Amino acid sequence: MPDLHTEADWKAVERSPEFRELMRRKKAFVVPATIFFLAWYFGFVFLTGYAPDFMGREFITDGLTVGYALALSQFLMTWVLGWMYMRRANRVWDPLSARVRESVEGATPADARPSTRFRRGELVTEHEEVPQR
Amino acid sequence: MTYIASVNGTALAVFAVVVGVTMIVTYVASKRISTATDFWAAGRTLTGPQNGLAIAGDYMSAASFLGIAGLIFLFGFDGFLYCVGFLVAFLAVLFLIAEQMRNSGKYTFADVLAYRMKQPPARAAAALGTLAVVAFYLIAQMVGAGVIIEGLVGISFPWAVILTGAFMVTYIVLGGMLATSWVQIIKAVLMLTCGVVLTVWVLAKIGWNPINLFRDARANSAEGDAYLKPGLFLSTPLDTVSLGLGLVLGTAGLPHILMRFFTVPTAKAARKSVIWAMFLIGAFYLMTTALGFGTRAILGQGAEKAVGETGNFTVPTLAENLGGDLLLAIVAGVAFATILAVVAGLVISASGAVAHDVWSNIVRRGRDSEHEEVWVAKAAAFAIGALAIGIALLGGEALNVSFMVGLAFAVAASANFPALLLALTWRRFNTTGAVVGVLVGVISSIALVVISPTVWPGPDSEGGALSWYSLANPAIISVPLGFIGCFLGTMLAREPTAEAKFDELKVRSETGLGAEAATGTTLAGGGTRRRRAAAAATATMVPPL
Repeated sequence: MPDLHTEADWKAVERSPEFRELMRRKKAFVVPATIFFLAWYFGFVFLTGYAPDFMGREFITDGLTVGYALALSQFLMTWVLGWMYMRRANRVWDPLSARVRESVEGATPADARPSTRFRRGELVTEHEEVPQR
Repeated sequence: MTYIASVNGTALAVFAVVVGVTMIVTYVASKRISTATDFWAAGRTLTGPQNGLAIAGDYMSAASFLGIAGLIFLFGFDGFLYCVGFLVAFLAVLFLIAEQMRNSGKYTFADVLAYRMKQPPARAAAALGTLAVVAFYLIAQMVGAGVIIEGLVGISFPWAVILTGAFMVTYIVLGGMLATSWVQIIKAVLMLTCGVVLTVWVLAKIGWNPINLFRDARANSAEGDAYLKPGLFLSTPLDTVSLGLGLVLGTAGLPHILMRFFTVPTAKAARKSVIWAMFLIGAFYLMTTALGFGTRAILGQGAEKAVGETGNFTVPTLAENLGGDLLLAIVAGVAFATILAVVAGLVISASGAVAHDVWSNIVRRGRDSEHEEVWVAKAAAFAIGALAIGIALLGGEALNVSFMVGLAFAVAASANFPALLLALTWRRFNTTGAVVGVLVGVISSIALVVISPTVWPGPDSEGGALSWYSLANPAIISVPLGFIGCFLGTMLAREPTAEAKFDELKVRSETGLGAEAATGTTLAGGGTRRRRAAAAATATMVPPL
């Protein structure tokens, strides 16, 4: 179990299967979702700039323009992606990240806080070795 | 309908209520804050929904409450583009920044940047980015406050500016982030309630069919079909794209928004607060459709004189028409609360940059006491407030602030966002890269705005300083420049410690190992017993390194 007092210890955590699994699962959602929202958003912005006539076209009913409908789709996209992120975070990533913390601290799942192991940290002179205060 | 008249008594009464309630909150908060964590992070005890409301209150300025509806009233569709950009931006915050900030920072986003870099230069760079954003944003808000309050209530411009500045400084110096957060929460509730009332009223007037907003607005516009199309306000396509880029990336670099993530106890609460903020802010921006198109649909061209050149008086005009003097007074009071909440958030983030980053970590190298740090923060908040009042008074009502909020977003997107994102994700990134990137981002966005037609030689002029450069929004050039600056600066130097500490920052920011704990300070209570319990819990959580 890493002692977490040196850079090598943190490197070991970073390379641990638990942490790698967490990052893999997280990236599997965040990377495609980021690409998607940027593409959908900039698609809208480019059309607003370069295709005003298309955006001003009315469809379904008199008064509703393509531009306004696409703008509403941005609201919907933000809420849906935000909700999907939260669901995944609560159900998948949080348990995985708790596992990483447990593997480091040896804490019980109910108490995921750093335990006695970290008490030693207090003895470190705060301002000289803690990177920030 | 002219608003520059004698003092409006009803509005003044509403103002008194807003000030009274926020002062009570500040008084209660002042009894509870003692440590630096209390002062800058409200003891890290806000819940997700509370912080979501506070983010909404911190984020939506008078530009959102009054400005966007005005743009929609005057120019139709183009005004709504701002809403889309301002909202989608929160996906970038949620996906890339919010939880990582909470896990690895303390009071300012410089904490995250300086984590694996050389303290003084990295913090100086972040403080520069913070202060540049706050300066432009704050001056725009202060001048806007003066103009709006003068127009709505009849208090003269200088007094309106001085009062706004004085209340702002009082909240911060006495109540710190705890008072600021609750002022923002109160403001968000007021603003959303006001939006719902006006929206329902507008819908009732037009027969409950939202599509009628567009049909009637088009019928009441001299522009006809063009009113529902893009192009009346944003007529240069490349400028539109540049604006869109600045809006969507800027939010993730706004220091006063980033600072809000330190006020919750865990990354999970930070996540929840962004989701709440997304729904609250999105709901308000949806309602601007009813406010902007609705004013056009109900009042028609007759209102064009009353709303003013910028359209800022659109919502007040609508309110007066629907609900008379009382509703106008309520809207004026909400506008006042809106401005107060935003300027307080801006100044407390600037006080963090001055006291925590520059004074405590650069000048005193971490050897000052916490008491001294808080004292310097209060002095800094006071000085920044006085400076902002002074600049707003010197510039006066005629000061052209229309470009300043856009410039604040451009600086945030070009300087703060690249440095922060790369610090969290790029192992090779180092101090030189961060310093060069922030400098390039700040300088390029300011320089590009100065030579743009909006500023040089003055608004409404033909062309800017350079005949071939006419962009009003710099982001499309300055954001890539910021990233290139970060990259080239990094390549100039090799910094093994920054690379070696990347593993630690990555593990901490993603898992919350050794994250800063809560102190137990809340507005409702806490007291010594709760504080002692929290302190005991924190003691076992002190990070080992």
